[in-house]
Amino acid sequence: MSASFERGMAAFREVMDSPIASFFSSCVHCGLCAEACLFYTETGDPKYTPIHKLDPLKRVWQQEYTLLGRLGALVGLSKPVTEKELEQWSELVYDSCTLCGRCSMVCPVGNDIAYMVRKMREGMSAAGVAPEGMIGATQRAVTLGSPMGVKLPALQAQIRAQEAETGLSIPMDVQGADYMVLLSSMEVMNFPEYIGALGKIFRQAGVSWTLSSKAFEATNSGIQIGASDIAAELVQRIVDAAEGLGVKTVISPECGHAFTAIRWEGPNLIGRPYRFEVKHILEVLEELRQAGRLRTQGCDERPLTFHDPCQIARRGGVIEQPRNLLKSVASDFREMEEHGAMNWCCGGGGGVSANDRAEELRLVAFKRKKGQVEALGVDTLVTACANCRIILEEGLEHYNMDVEVVGLTELVAEHLIEDDK
Amino acid sequence: MSEPDKSLFDLLAQRGVSRRGFLKFCATTASMLGLPPSMSSAVAEALTQAARRPSVIWLSFQECTGCTESLTRAYSPTIESLIFDAISLDYHHTLQAASGDAAEEARAQAMKANYGSYLLLVDGSIPLGEGGAYSTIAGHTNLSMLKEVAEGAAAVVSIGTCAAFGGLPMANPNPTGAVSVKDIVQDKPVMNVPGCPPIPNVIVGVVAHFLTFGALPELDALGRPKVFYGDTIHDRCYRRPFYDRGLFAKTFDDEGARNGWCLYELGCKGPTTYNACATLKWNGGTSFPIQSGHGCLGCSEPKFWDGGGFYTALSTPIQPVTGAAVTAALAGAAVGAAVAFGNQSTKGKAKAAHTKVTIDDLEKA
Repeated sequence: MSASFERGMAAFREVMDSPIASFFSSCVHCGLCAEACLFYTETGDPKYTPIHKLDPLKRVWQQEYTLLGRLGALVGLSKPVTEKELEQWSELVYDSCTLCGRCSMVCPVGNDIAYMVRKMREGMSAAGVAPEGMIGATQRAVTLGSPMGVKLPALQAQIRAQEAETGLSIPMDVQGADYMVLLSSMEVMNFPEYIGALGKIFRQAGVSWTLSSKAFEATNSGIQIGASDIAAELVQRIVDAAEGLGVKTVISPECGHAFTAIRWEGPNLIGRPYRFEVKHILEVLEELRQAGRLRTQGCDERPLTFHDPCQIARRGGVIEQPRNLLKSVASDFREMEEHGAMNWCCGGGGGVSANDRAEELRLVAFKRKKGQVEALGVDTLVTACANCRIILEEGLEHYNMDVEVVGLTELVAEHLIEDDK
Repeated sequence: MSEPDKSLFDLLAQRGVSRRGFLKFCATTASMLGLPPSMSSAVAEALTQAARRPSVIWLSFQECTGCTESLTRAYSPTIESLIFDAISLDYHHTLQAASGDAAEEARAQAMKANYGSYLLLVDGSIPLGEGGAYSTIAGHTNLSMLKEVAEGAAAVVSIGTCAAFGGLPMANPNPTGAVSVKDIVQDKPVMNVPGCPPIPNVIVGVVAHFLTFGALPELDALGRPKVFYGDTIHDRCYRRPFYDRGLFAKTFDDEGARNGWCLYELGCKGPTTYNACATLKWNGGTSFPIQSGHGCLGCSEPKFWDGGGFYTALSTPIQPVTGAAVTAALAGAAVGAAVAFGNQSTKGKAKAAHTKVTIDDLEKA
């Protein structure tokens, strides 16, 4: 038994809390969660049944936290969890789960399975069985400040390019601004036009905002790999920067799990409430629109649909806002049959996109989204998460589909009324 | 009591019931029984054909006559009561004009003339204590009379909760040793029409069914016709939406009571009581207990009298929790506390042993 394994088992014991105990004891083994999981529906392999992915954690609970389980363990009736098993389960816990939480929605007894997978990853990462790709991303996030290795000079170069394109200046480290904007490194490297779009929107709305040179990265690999200590360190960087600048609100970018990390898990991780608010960019834009500060003209006439990022819609509750925004700038918005809280994941969330060995499975799982898009006959897919966007683009490319993927913030920015304010 | 040569329709016409009124009644009865509309003519035919009308004998044992009252004491004479007057009801303590030997003679005659085909209706429970001495009629115990008359009956219908389930006479401590009809008659089809009293339309409905089809309707596990006892009062109650929203009257004169909220917390037994009160209602469809502001007592269920206070909510225990139950609960709590303590220490140890996870720890050591 390795030191890592001991550590992982200790982490399993440590994460066991009353929700997990009640979830495991109330599971009726109905298997409904299987049909809710795109890794099961697209492969038909029963090992991808969400509750089965938790089997080692469940056995630790049974053997060490229940009376009958303890008695059984005393007389040698139970099968202890082995190191080899954890290695086998790595694929189930990381490659075939995006923490999308769809299984939690259908569970008839209300078990939050995604919550448990997140907790189980604490033990898996401590046991050293997390996928290499995610370990690398986490190491880069801690040492370089971004899972993709994006450092401040790279961001500054992108900002300069956007300033040149829009003719606006992008504020950096402005003390006392109302909003501090976070970015994901996906956006910085692949979709820098998001920064320009924000500049245009905020200028029209008259919003005081800033980026921080100390903490511009919103993504949190610690949450994805399941290492709360590391996640807390990454959140702390943002909290220090935001409270240092004295901003009122921190805006989570078009990135799914970044919102989960900073909005929901953050205060628990650092053990105290923030001295600022956290909002998702879509929430901010919708507030501005309702206040009449976001004035648009014209409509995109292409048939288009909206892909809900799981962490923003299902886990984050931001469902109405993107639809209101989209309807204000698009005339042929079509809703996928299953959308909003019951959307289907792109297949690359929860760290799967950083996990190279999962690529093949991820593309199989993408068939679900492919089918949804084909059923609508649209040629434009709007979303609000840079990670979803990359995964969607790769999937569409893989299946030779001619569909363009657009970020919602940029789409809104394109329709702003130009004035010389 | 009836004039066997005349058809039921003639008898009704004599008493001022129009043909239209009678057919309306037949259609209502058919729909009440859950029969297709086309069957209303079958009901009418069955009821008017004197030849096919079997003799009915009604025996009353340990009872209060409330069931007969329910049937006959309407504000105005209903077709239900007239039909009962008109069928060949050959023996009924309360309704028959004859008395003494003449009455018993009428019973003997009816039994002889219709042996094997008459319908036996019973209200009241049968006392077995002291050799049945608690209730006798013309020198016969209720037990011997029931056995004798049931012998030649085509079917037996227990009218009211006393006959169906023992009812009030059987309530704890059951001084007379009362039992239900079904406890005695086991070789004949027995249908229970419980209620204290049953709804008159229900009594007539099941009799009409027997007259029309020559058989009893489909019964539930307690021998009650499913058409009338298939749903709980609660499921059909007009106050159900308040229950679903968690709006309850807490006393009989609070805001909730005035707003007509659910009476569950005031002891309404609607959720466990199968009967048709909420749909058919009483007094010609005027109202039913819950509509008048009082919870259901559960009178059509077995042992309703011993089922805890009428004004305590269903969720409260019927008897004080004592003895073995308390010991078991305490033992359970102690085991639970011990397990919780053990779990806290397991988790505490793991927590205490926690060292900060750094990026170096992610690789296997």
